[in-house]
Amino acid sequence: MDYSWLDILAASAALLGVWMCGVIRIRTLLAGLALQVAAMAGITLYIGLVTHVTHFLILAVVVLLVKAIAIPWYLAWAAKQLETREDRGVTVAPTLTMIIGLAILATCYFGASFIAVPSLGNVGAAGMAAALVLLGMLLMIGRRLAISQVIGFLMMENGIFLYGLTQTPGMPMLVEMGVIFDVLVGVLVSGLVIFRLNRSFEHIDVTQFRGLRH
Amino acid sequence: MNTLLLLVIIPLLIALTGLFSRAARWLPRVAAGLMLVQLPVVIWLVLPVLSQSGSVATNLGIDGIGAAFLVITTLVATAAFCQAAWLLPAERPDEPLITDKRFTMFYTLTGLFIIAMYGVLLAQNLGYMWIAMEATTLISATLIHYHRTRKALEATWKYLLLCSVGIAFALLGTIMIVAAQHTIPGEGTMHLDTLMQRAAQCDPRLLRLGFILCLLGYGTKAGIFPLHNWLPDAHSEAPAPVSAMLSGALLNCALVAIWRLSQLMHAAGQDHLVSQLLVPAGAITVIAAALMLIRQHDLKRMWAYSSVEHVGILLLAIGIRAGPLFILHALNHSLVKVALFLLAGSILHLYGSKSLRKLKGLVVVAPVWGGLLLAGSFAIAGSPPFGTFISEWLILRDTITAHEYLAAGVVVTGLAITTIAVINHVARVVFGKAPTRVLERPHKSWALVPAVLLLFSLVAGLAVTPPVISLLTKLAQVGGIAQ
Repeated sequence: MDYSWLDILAASAALLGVWMCGVIRIRTLLAGLALQVAAMAGITLYIGLVTHVTHFLILAVVVLLVKAIAIPWYLAWAAKQLETREDRGVTVAPTLTMIIGLAILATCYFGASFIAVPSLGNVGAAGMAAALVLLGMLLMIGRRLAISQVIGFLMMENGIFLYGLTQTPGMPMLVEMGVIFDVLVGVLVSGLVIFRLNRSFEHIDVTQFRGLRH
Repeated sequence: MNTLLLLVIIPLLIALTGLFSRAARWLPRVAAGLMLVQLPVVIWLVLPVLSQSGSVATNLGIDGIGAAFLVITTLVATAAFCQAAWLLPAERPDEPLITDKRFTMFYTLTGLFIIAMYGVLLAQNLGYMWIAMEATTLISATLIHYHRTRKALEATWKYLLLCSVGIAFALLGTIMIVAAQHTIPGEGTMHLDTLMQRAAQCDPRLLRLGFILCLLGYGTKAGIFPLHNWLPDAHSEAPAPVSAMLSGALLNCALVAIWRLSQLMHAAGQDHLVSQLLVPAGAITVIAAALMLIRQHDLKRMWAYSSVEHVGILLLAIGIRAGPLFILHALNHSLVKVALFLLAGSILHLYGSKSLRKLKGLVVVAPVWGGLLLAGSFAIAGSPPFGTFISEWLILRDTITAHEYLAAGVVVTGLAITTIAVINHVARVVFGKAPTRVLERPHKSWALVPAVLLLFSLVAGLAVTPPVISLLTKLAQVGGIAQ
């Protein structure tokens, strides 16, 4: 068995994604998200140690601080303020979503070479990245509450980050930081909108928003 | 660097002033005045582009297409600010929720919104372009929510979520374009200029996949059918000056992003893929928007669907690689659509409703507005002698010369349906039985900005001559100023 740390971390992030598709409690979802981002930071650190490029070490620290600690903490605080604990999903039961998630993971595992850059040798991670993007979408589609959709979006973003990390020789630092900043502001703005939604509608169940349909 | 700094001074000044809630009384007029200064400043700053033919190798710079759209964006923002100086203070007595702080904050966010749009147009680096584009989404989402109604809130959420997810795909696509350079030794680049030179040697599969994902992402932002879902809600619930900027400036920014990527694909010898994707997408967007225009209940929603239709036409122009016509039609659409959204805002204020059922007899209540609305609807439907007619005509001509007969046929059908639908709806608003009483007397001055914009559109229609086309052709090609 010659799996590298990179593959193990990428696979565990994707498996966490599948598991999260079946989770109902918001706090547990957020813990899953934080762990997933921690795996991303771990991969960044690993690449940094192997290639001896300081840029990756800085990136790992920023990812850990912003995306693994600050964002989940902010969302957990928001969920507490909103008194939302559980999201039972739309029509498909979360356990069933988990099985769909497994099917996605398997497809991406076998289809990885389609989007991978062979010369970099991280073919498996490309599949896991694609799986994370799709699992994030699945989570967004399958849930009722606005806050779970933000979590799904962040999972998608993790997949994109993983793809950039493992399939390119390294993205420009300024662009990476810009993207992280945009994600942070995006989460803050959506948190603000969710609070306002809760105040106006007294719930944040997106399936109940009907005002704009004709 | 100087030129770029000069560009953002005035929007930044407006944004900073907005932080002081005491400025609420005079800020609308001052901001409008400042934007009236900004317009000549921008034109003066981008003029040197025409005499340059060098390439833009740095991350931020003005190229020909960027210069053209910087002027259009500034023109749209100036018009919106001028109308806002009358409209927004007049609306405030009825809206106790909008405190001085929230009111001036609106100006802060609008200033930042303009800077973010400039960022998209100036970016010569795919990564910077993405960051600026996401910034426009985040800033404009808070602007849509200005009126603080339930519907506006719902539209904000829909816009924020759909556009963020859409644009996430554009990020994945951008990274794939970087990954596609694995065939070339050394690190991947995001600089458009370097990418263009390398394009032919890139891994074609990843490049194509990257382009498709970027099209999906920026296409969501541009409102391509069927990714347009958020657009009518956001554009109709936002306050009129913001609707004008969303429709007249932001859609263009997303289309410029698609234009730049299609140029990249052209350099890679993948023209076939671009036209194969963009031409049908444009034609389907036009016909779908036309069909949705038939049943409309809301004046601003109608103009939003009409924007979707024009995005389809612009996409077609990009698909057949008609650069000059892309600029020309974007300008014409922006002029007319901004006039119409600003008029709709005034009418909304006068009648206290934007439901087409309640808007009647405008020609009796406010004859000047009525006349302008009628003229604007003919212009947006593409009737001569307005500029939209000539640019739509030229795009259709080029579509046929490119042997895209089916697309041309579909677009002509769509345009015919649109004309009938829009004129039918607007005729009922302009004529019909006037209400016995309206909220207040219409202000004559509120017609000024739309009238000037429609006049510009008229001039743009009459001014299209071979020299103008060759100027636009040059603009679509020049590399521009490297800053």
